[in-house]
Amino acid sequence: MSGLRSYIFKAAVRLLFFLVNVFALYLLLRGHNLPGGGFIAGLASAIALVLLSLAIGLEELHRVMRFDPMRMAAAGLAMAAVTGAAPLLFGRPFLEHFDAHLTGLPLLGELHVGTALAFDIGVFLVVVGIACKIMFALGKSTQRLRALVAEEERRYSAPVEQPIEEEPPIRAATNPSTPSPHVS
Amino acid sequence: MDATELCVALALGLPLLGSPLIALAGRRLGSRVGWLALAFPLISTGALLTLAAGVGRMPRRVVEWPWIPTLGLNLSFLVDGLSLFFGLIVSAMGCLVVFHAIFYLGRDAKHAGRFHATMVLFMAAMLGTVFANHLLLLFVFWELTGIASFLLIGFLHEQKEARVGARQALLVTGSTGLALLVGAVLVQQVSGTGRLDALLSAQLPWEQHGSLLTAAMLLLLLGAFGKSAQLPFHFWLPNAMTAPTPVSAYLHSATMVKLGVFLVARIYPLFVEAEPWAPLLGTIAFTTMILGAVLALLSHDLKAILAYSTVSQLGYLIGYYGLGPADGVECDYLHILNHVFYKGGLFMIVGIVAHAAGIRDIRQLGGLFGRMPLLGVATLVAAATMAGIPGTTGFLSKEMMLKEIFGALRDHDALGLYATACVALTSVVKVAFSVRLFANIFLGPMPSRIQRHFHAPSIGMQLPPAILAGCALGLGLFPGVLDAPLRALAVEGVNRPQHLSLWHGFTLELAVSSLVVALGFGLYWLGERTRWRWHIIPRALRFDLAFEAGLEAFSGFTVRVTRVLRSDRPVDYLPILIAFAVGLVGGTLLWNLPRLAGLLMPDWTAVHPLRTMVAALIALALVGVLVLRSWTAQLLSLGVAGFLTCFYFVLYRAPDLALTQILVETVTLLLVLLLLARFPRSAQAGEEARRPAPLRRLFHALLALGVGGTVTALVLMVTADPHPEPIGRGLLEQTIPLAKGSNAVNTILVDFRGFDTLGEITVLVIASLGCLGLLMRYKRTPEEYRQGPLGPPGAGFANEPEE
Repeated sequence: MSGLRSYIFKAAVRLLFFLVNVFALYLLLRGHNLPGGGFIAGLASAIALVLLSLAIGLEELHRVMRFDPMRMAAAGLAMAAVTGAAPLLFGRPFLEHFDAHLTGLPLLGELHVGTALAFDIGVFLVVVGIACKIMFALGKSTQRLRALVAEEERRYSAPVEQPIEEEPPIRAATNPSTPSPHVS
Repeated sequence: MDATELCVALALGLPLLGSPLIALAGRRLGSRVGWLALAFPLISTGALLTLAAGVGRMPRRVVEWPWIPTLGLNLSFLVDGLSLFFGLIVSAMGCLVVFHAIFYLGRDAKHAGRFHATMVLFMAAMLGTVFANHLLLLFVFWELTGIASFLLIGFLHEQKEARVGARQALLVTGSTGLALLVGAVLVQQVSGTGRLDALLSAQLPWEQHGSLLTAAMLLLLLGAFGKSAQLPFHFWLPNAMTAPTPVSAYLHSATMVKLGVFLVARIYPLFVEAEPWAPLLGTIAFTTMILGAVLALLSHDLKAILAYSTVSQLGYLIGYYGLGPADGVECDYLHILNHVFYKGGLFMIVGIVAHAAGIRDIRQLGGLFGRMPLLGVATLVAAATMAGIPGTTGFLSKEMMLKEIFGALRDHDALGLYATACVALTSVVKVAFSVRLFANIFLGPMPSRIQRHFHAPSIGMQLPPAILAGCALGLGLFPGVLDAPLRALAVEGVNRPQHLSLWHGFTLELAVSSLVVALGFGLYWLGERTRWRWHIIPRALRFDLAFEAGLEAFSGFTVRVTRVLRSDRPVDYLPILIAFAVGLVGGTLLWNLPRLAGLLMPDWTAVHPLRTMVAALIALALVGVLVLRSWTAQLLSLGVAGFLTCFYFVLYRAPDLALTQILVETVTLLLVLLLLARFPRSAQAGEEARRPAPLRRLFHALLALGVGGTVTALVLMVTADPHPEPIGRGLLEQTIPLAKGSNAVNTILVDFRGFDTLGEITVLVIASLGCLGLLMRYKRTPEEYRQGPLGPPGAGFANEPEE
């Protein structure tokens, strides 16, 4: 991997990272009316992040990002679920969307916004988070790093972990009335 | 909310809602939380007593709150004599047991909050079961009692016996509970309603659906047998005695195991005239009765003796309903009340004795009367009640029992004879182990081991059994007191309590009763003479061992099946999956080939030059995958095919698909490249040695051709005969008016099919969490597991790529 990290590559990827993410944002925002949407934007953003990781290295990216991408995915899922559940509070069906057409805004002029966008942002976050998490784990393993650091292992492991197969056989109950015949 | 609703809500709802609060308060209050828990049964008892006071005026009332109205299932509760009788037993016994448990657990009890919370939850579930007015609601509460019982039996879950006993109880009562559910659904389907008030006031359609109703009855009774530990399910009750003693006193003698009896009483008016009712109940229940009594005599553990005698008494109660006449039985309330008095008390006494002496084996106990006189007297009364000595409710119960059984002798020929024999023998055995229980604990010399060990129990612990014994004695001496309340609680068609009196004159029953007592003492004397050496439960009667062996055999079987079927290489599964799919779909197509032949002919006039070219390029790229050797080159070639597919989508004016395809292609490429980087260079170059055998390659080639052929045929068919009303058209039309967006692909994703998308992203998150878990478990040896929950450092991708 070290061969990739030439100065030009690094500089180019930093610029590209910015551009691709702006493009992803553009795809996300226009998604409702023109080709685009949360899923596509999420993939684009994830690709940008992977490129960045190739350029500056995973350890550096970890230091910069400071959070677990799974948290992003969880936040996205929560956002989509909340957007879906919010109409229930007003006695409307689950996942009903509302929209509004705003005019006379400063800078923007007209703006058409809807709750569908919030749902789409949730999808976006889930896709980015999960794609990053999986690709980072694989990427680390190719660089002879541990796929998950100890903190992450604690986070994702079951509370009690035991081998699936090597369980000792369960013996029959010892009945309380089992006699020990020669005690009297 | 009128008075009835308020009382039901207080009695049932309060403990149900309060149980989590107790668990929370337990963290702060420690063992004092018991006093808080005591409030709930007290309130329930008060509320039920208020209800019972008015039961004479309005025999049957229904209280209802909506729950799942679309299923016709409401929180509907039936308040009548039967439910009030059982409800009062549950709540009053709850007061005594919780009070007892406060002292039993002691000041420094751990998890007192959890214990009391589960107890109160159990009480709420019991009350829910007895008051439920809908069979399905009854089932829900029924299983909730099973779950609470599981938690309470397994309360000391560090002990293996507790875990095994809890699992046994849950499996037996839970699975027979499912039979109850099926029976309830059958009754509901056949009669059109599952509401008990409607069922009880109407006739079941026996003429039209006789066999279905018989099946329903058998299933309901199966549920009752499981819960009440009737043959062949009797084994779980003694093993459930690993629970703390207050739990045994409450759940496994006084209340939960009586649910089977309750259910039989509840459905008594519906099914009593059915053909198999009397023979089925009679045979099974009376066999259980005699078997339980004999096993109790053969046991030495104090709690096992009581558990088996409970099984025996439950057998009698159920069999009693089995032989009853169509217009209702006479003394069921008396028998149940009597059993609660002595058995609940005896369980607590046994707990206290084990607590004080540290021993539960009856052969090692003795001489405790001097140390615990109050408990000794209470035990004497309770044991006398169990044996049926005059002056106790047990005597009344036994007199009635004998009188009725002689009546049954006239009504049912062979069955009556069998029942009479069982009752007579059981009574003799019961006298014997009652005497043994009192005499061998309290009389005789005190073993030195106990003298060293003994510490006196607190008075609070001894109070509840003393109260119960007092009830047994007081009501036994003045049975007339019981007349009015029992009559008020009588339910038409189930029971009609008679006047009770101590002295009936010199009757046949009295003679038989005296003979039984004499024989019982004789049996005890015989046992003492032989020092109980012959007392070993035969292996053939240890059903629990067979049950556990069966469970173990089942889990062993699944392991063996997995060993045979599984493969460590995922590659091995792929041909199986593909072959199955191709065989299914392609086979169906081949089967219907004559009819489909017309559809499978391509329409050559529709060929478009640009599209054809792209398709040809895709095919060329795929040939590259086959011809190239290096993995990276193969991958890139596959990528080319993917990007050309995007172009193909563009030609069909599907920009969203094309965009998605490009990005998915890129991400996949990156992922697979990363994976390939993990392999050694020699493997990446495509070693000849790794090529599979020729026969295998031929199979794979055929499989690939099969997939290609099937998909081609499907595409041709779909395009040749499109659906007259494709679903997409409607969505395209509605995307702007309904979803307010002009990109139909996106409006489908976030609006029309938003629920699907939500489900998909949920699955995505769950699946990746599972992947991360697998990443950690990857190839860890048992030694590494033993090193701790997280294993050694470097787990996960520990095997490094070789250079």
